[in-house]
Amino acid sequence: MTRLEERPWSQAREWEDEELARDAAAARSDDGAAAPMAGESPRWKAAAIWALAPVAISALWLAWAIIRGPAGSAAATRLEFGGIAILALIAGAIVWLSEQTRRRDLLALRYHLSRGEAEGSTLDATGVGVELQPVLRSAMDHAASLREKIRRIEGTQQRSGLERRLADLQRQQVDAIVNGISDAVLVTDEFDRLLMANRACESVLGLKPAEALRKPISELSIDDGLARMIRQSREADGGNVRRHVEHTLGERIYEVTLSGVSVQQKDESAGAKHGVLAVLRDVTREKEIAKAKSDFVSKVAHELRTPLSSIKAYVEMLVDGEATDEKTLREYYEIIQTSSERLSRLIDNMLNISRIESGTVRVNKEPVSMAVVVKEAADVARPQAEAKQIKLDVELTPVFYQVLADRDMIYQAVLNLLSNAVKYTKDGGGVTVKMAVMEQDRTVTISVSDTGVGIPEQDLPRLFEKFFRVEANSKMAKGTGLGLNLVKHLVETVHGGRINVTSQVGSGSTFSMTLPLHG
Amino acid sequence: MGESMGTRILVCDDEPHIVHVVAAKLRNAGFEVITAENGEEALERATCESPALVITDFQMPYLTGLELAERLKAEPATCGVPLILLTARGFSIDESDWKNTNIRAVMCKPFSPREILSKVQELLACGPASQPVNAGRA
Repeated sequence: MTRLEERPWSQAREWEDEELARDAAAARSDDGAAAPMAGESPRWKAAAIWALAPVAISALWLAWAIIRGPAGSAAATRLEFGGIAILALIAGAIVWLSEQTRRRDLLALRYHLSRGEAEGSTLDATGVGVELQPVLRSAMDHAASLREKIRRIEGTQQRSGLERRLADLQRQQVDAIVNGISDAVLVTDEFDRLLMANRACESVLGLKPAEALRKPISELSIDDGLARMIRQSREADGGNVRRHVEHTLGERIYEVTLSGVSVQQKDESAGAKHGVLAVLRDVTREKEIAKAKSDFVSKVAHELRTPLSSIKAYVEMLVDGEATDEKTLREYYEIIQTSSERLSRLIDNMLNISRIESGTVRVNKEPVSMAVVVKEAADVARPQAEAKQIKLDVELTPVFYQVLADRDMIYQAVLNLLSNAVKYTKDGGGVTVKMAVMEQDRTVTISVSDTGVGIPEQDLPRLFEKFFRVEANSKMAKGTGLGLNLVKHLVETVHGGRINVTSQVGSGSTFSMTLPLHG
Repeated sequence: MGESMGTRILVCDDEPHIVHVVAAKLRNAGFEVITAENGEEALERATCESPALVITDFQMPYLTGLELAERLKAEPATCGVPLILLTARGFSIDESDWKNTNIRAVMCKPFSPREILSKVQELLACGPASQPVNAGRA
C-alpha cells in the first residue's frame, strides 16, 4: 500500500513497462505465485525470508528433537517435541500463504489503479482495511476521470492536428489541380484585386502570380482589354451571369469565360462580396480547324459548281435547240461528259480520303506488277500532256517485279502524281517517270519528275496536308487540295510505303513513292 | 431580236466551257461576243473594243470580277458599261460595291444561259442608267 500511495499518477504511468506487465500477469493468473517468484526483485526476497523464517525455525526444532530423543528422554517427550514441531511447521505455512495472497491482491490493485479502473473486481478481496476502501475508491474514481480527461484532450489535439494536415493536403491538391489546368484561371475580388492566378497565367498573360497577388489588375501588366472585361463583368451584373467573350492576345485567340464568384470576407456581416472568375481558354487551334473546314466547304462547293454549271448550261442549250448542227451537238455532248466525269472524280476523291481516314476502306491486295500499273497511268495522262506539248518519258522496270497492293488504289496514286506533274508544268516542258528496284531493301521506287514551276521550300512540309494548296501555284491549275493527301494515304496508310518530294522553284519537282516488293 | 443585232458583249471567265456556252447563247440571239479568260485581258479588250455590256466571273486569277468592275468604272472609256457578275460562291456583294461599280446583276453558278440572255436584254433595254437589280440567288 505504501508504495502505491507514494507514487503520483504521473509516475504510476511509467510502470507501464515490463515490471507492471509482469506483475499484472502474475496477479491475474491462477497459480501466479510461481512466475514472479523466480524474479530477482529485492522486495520479493524480503517477503520470502519473512514467510519462510517460521518454517525454517520449526524444521530446526524438529530435527533437534529427533536427534536428542534416543539419548535420554522418554518416548512421550519425543512425541511431544514432534507435535510441537509439526504445529510450528503448519503455523509457518499459514503465514507464508497469507503473505502470498496479500501480495497477489496488492499487485492486482496496483494494476487496476494504474489503469484508472475504479471497479477492479479485486478491490474487495485485497484485504485492504475496510476503513481505507472508500478513500481508495474515491481516489480511483478521481484518477479515472482525470485519465478520461487526458485521453479526451489528447484525442482532440490529435484530431485537430489531423484536420490541419488534411486541410493542408486538400489545399495542396486543389492548388495542384488549378495549376495543372492549361487554361489561364484568375480570380479578382470586389475591388478588382487579384486573389488568385494559376500557373498558366504566367505564359498566357505574363503574370507572375507570386508578385501580382492582392494588386489591382489595372496596375498589373495584363492586357488592357481583359482588365476592362473583368471590371465590366463585375460592374454589370455582380457576376451573376456567365459570359463568353472572344479575345485576341498577340497571335492567339482566347475564349474568355467570365463568371461571378463569391469572395468570402472575414467580416461576415459585410455579406458575400462578388468577385470575378476569369478563365482563358486557347481556341486558336479550334479556330484554325473551323476555318480550314469552312475553306474546304467553300473550295469543294466551288469545285463542284464549276462542272455542274457546265452540265446544266449545256443541257439547257440542247433542250432549247441551240445546237443546230451535228458538230455543235457532238461538242456539247462531250463537254457534258467530261464535266460529269470531273464531278464524279472529285466526289470519289473526297469519299476515298474520308474512308481511308476512318479506316472503313475495302482494300483488295494482290500481287501487282508495278510496271504494268505505271504504264497504264502514263497512257491515261498522255493526252493531257500532249495537249500542253509536254514530253512524257517513261522508264519501266521488268514486269515481274510485283508489289502486294490494291491495284486500283496504287494506280490512282501514280496517276495523281502524273497528272499533277503535267498540270504544274508549263507548255513544252517535260515529265519523266522512272522506276528503280532496290534489291537489298526489297523495294521499288517510282519517281515522277517534271520541269514545272516547283514548290517553295516553306510549303514542302505542308504539301501533303488535306486542302493545302501552294498559293504561288494555285492559279496555274484548279484543285481541291485533296490529290496529294490522297496519294499519301494510299501509299503510306494503305500500302505501308513512303512518299517523298524534292523541289526547286523554277526548275521542277520530283515526287517518289517507295513500296515493298512482293515475294 | 432585231435590236440586239451587232451589240457587242464581253464575256470573261477562266473556265473555257462557261465562256463558250454563254458566248454561243448570246451569238445565237444575234449579239456580237468578244471573250477573255482573265480579268486583265478583259480590261484590255473592254478599253479597246468598247462593249455595250460585260459578263464576268467573280473568281478569276490575277484580277477578280469585282476588281475588274472597279477598274472599268475608273476608266473614262468604260465607266458607263453595265456588268453582270457570275459567281460560284453563294454571296451577295456589299452596298458600297453596288455604288462604286456598274454591276447591275449578280448571277450564281450553276446558271441558266436562258436567264443570262434575258438579263442582258433587260439591262440593254433599260440603258446604262438603270437601277441595280440583284437577279442571282445571292
